[in-house]
Amino acid sequence: MIDEMKVEIGITGFGSKLDDDLKSDCWANMPPELLTDILMRIEASESDWPDRKSVVCCAAVCRSWRKNMKEIVKCPEVSGCLTFPSSLKQPGSVGSLTQCFIKRNRNTQTYTLYLNLTEASNDEGKFLFAAKRFRRTTCTDYIISLNADDISKGSSGYVGKLRSNFLGTKFRVYDARPTNAALLATKCHSSRLGSIKRVSPKIPAGNYPISNISYEVNNPGTRGPRQMRCVMNAIPANAIEPRVGPTPTDFHVDSSSSSSSSSSSRSLSGSKSAHVSDAQLGALVLKNKNPRWHQQLQCWCLNFNGRVTVASVKNFQLVACLEDENGSKEHEKIVLEFGKIGKDVFTMDYQYPISAFEAFAICLSSFDTKITCE
Amino acid sequence: MTSSKTIVLRSSDGATFEVDEAVALHSLMIKHRIETGGADSTTIDVPEVTGNTLSKVIEYCKKHVEAPNSDDLKSFDTDFVKVDQAVLCHLAKASYYMNIKGLLDLSSKTIADMFKGKTVEQIRETFHIKNDFTPEEEEELRKENSWNLFV
Repeated sequence: MIDEMKVEIGITGFGSKLDDDLKSDCWANMPPELLTDILMRIEASESDWPDRKSVVCCAAVCRSWRKNMKEIVKCPEVSGCLTFPSSLKQPGSVGSLTQCFIKRNRNTQTYTLYLNLTEASNDEGKFLFAAKRFRRTTCTDYIISLNADDISKGSSGYVGKLRSNFLGTKFRVYDARPTNAALLATKCHSSRLGSIKRVSPKIPAGNYPISNISYEVNNPGTRGPRQMRCVMNAIPANAIEPRVGPTPTDFHVDSSSSSSSSSSSRSLSGSKSAHVSDAQLGALVLKNKNPRWHQQLQCWCLNFNGRVTVASVKNFQLVACLEDENGSKEHEKIVLEFGKIGKDVFTMDYQYPISAFEAFAICLSSFDTKITCE
Repeated sequence: MTSSKTIVLRSSDGATFEVDEAVALHSLMIKHRIETGGADSTTIDVPEVTGNTLSKVIEYCKKHVEAPNSDDLKSFDTDFVKVDQAVLCHLAKASYYMNIKGLLDLSSKTIADMFKGKTVEQIRETFHIKNDFTPEEEEELRKENSWNLFV
C-alpha cells in the first residue's frame, strides 16, 4: 500500500529570515511542562558529582530555568544529593552518611572540605568549603568560605566561622546567613525559606550563633579521650527521632534569641508540629561516643568500620544525647564521625539532622582544641 | 487492495499532508480530535506546528506505526534526532503539542544530553536564551558558578 503525501504550500513562508526567527525564539518559547521534562531528565541522570555541576549550570541560564530547577531539585535529606551551595547548610541525608574528607595544609593554616566522589584513596573530591585559621590575642577564628581563593570575612564566599576561647576548650559556630525561618521572617517578611525560592535572599550578612562546642577532660580518675559536647541551637532535640516527610520550612529553633547559655529554653517559631509542646523542646545535644578499651591492643577503640585508619586523639563519633528528667540517654545513630586516614587527610561523614556546614565547623574545633587524652 | 481512511493534517503555515488514519492516530491529540470531531473531521489543523516540522513528525509516526517491530527502529530513532538543534527544539514542541509520547521522550532525552557538560554561557549561546537576571542576582550566580566549577 503506497501512501501518497501531497504537500501543498499555501504561502511562501520558508525564507531564511523566518527560520532565524524561529531558531532564536524556539527555546525561549518552550512550553513550561516541556522545559520541566527536559530539566528533570538532566537532574535525574546527573545525580553524582562531577556530573551534577550540569544541574547547577542549567539553574543559572535564565530565570525560568532557575525557577524550574530549584523546584525539581530535592533537599539533601530527601535525595541524599548535594547540589547548590545552599544544600551545604541543609540537613544531610536521612539514614545514610554523606562521606567527605578534609585536607589540612599546615603551611597556610587552611582546611579544605571535599565530598567523596569515589572510595579510592586518590579521590579528588568535589570542593565544598575552605577554612582558614586566624590566631588572635584572646581567641582563634576559623573563617569558612565557599571561595577557596579568598577565605576572609570580607570575601563574597564567606559563609560563617568557628571561634574558640583562649584555652581552646569552648567554641561557638556562627552562620553568616542562616536558613532559619524565624530570622528570615523578621528580616525579609517571608514565611518561606528565602534561599530556596530566591537567588539572593535579602538577609544582612552577620554572625548568627548556631551551635556551641565544648571539650573537657574526663573526670579525674577515669581514663579515656576528651569529652565533646555540641549544643546545636538551630536544631530541636526531637529532630533525631524518625519523622514522616521532609523538614518543614519552619522547623528550626529560633537562634536569634539565644545568648551564651546553651541550656536556656528555646521556642519553635511558627511551628506546625502541634504534637510537641514548645516548653519541652531543647536544642539537640551531640556527645562523642565513648570508645572501648581494647586490652590486647592496649588502646581506646572506636568502631569506624574501616573508614578511619589512623589512630588519633582527634578521631570521634558523635551521637545524639537525649537529656530529660530521668537522666541522659545516648541515641545509637552516629550523626557525625571524623578521623585520620593520612598525614593531613581526615574523613568527615555526616547525616541528618546536621548540615555539612555544621559538621565541618565541629571537625575544625577538633583540630584546635588543646584538650587531649588522659 | 483495501483503501484505508486518510486524514489531512494542515500546519500553521498552510501546508497540508495526507496520511493514513492509523499514522495520524499515533498522535493522541489528533486521535482525540477525530473522536470528538464527528464525521467531518478529515482535515485537522495543527496550528502549533509548521510544515517543515510536521513533515518530519509524520515521517516518525509512519515508521513507528508501519514497522513497530523492525530491527532498525532503534537506529532509525538515533538517526532521526541527528538534526540541527533548532529542528530538534521544534520536534520536541511538536511532539508535546501533538501528544506523541515516543517522539517526546526521544527528543527530550536528546536535548537533555545536549545541555550536559556545557557551561552557562555555552547553553545561552547555543540555544539563544536571554540572560534575564538582575545585576544583583548575577553577583550571587557568579559565586555559585565559581563554587560549582572549582577544582
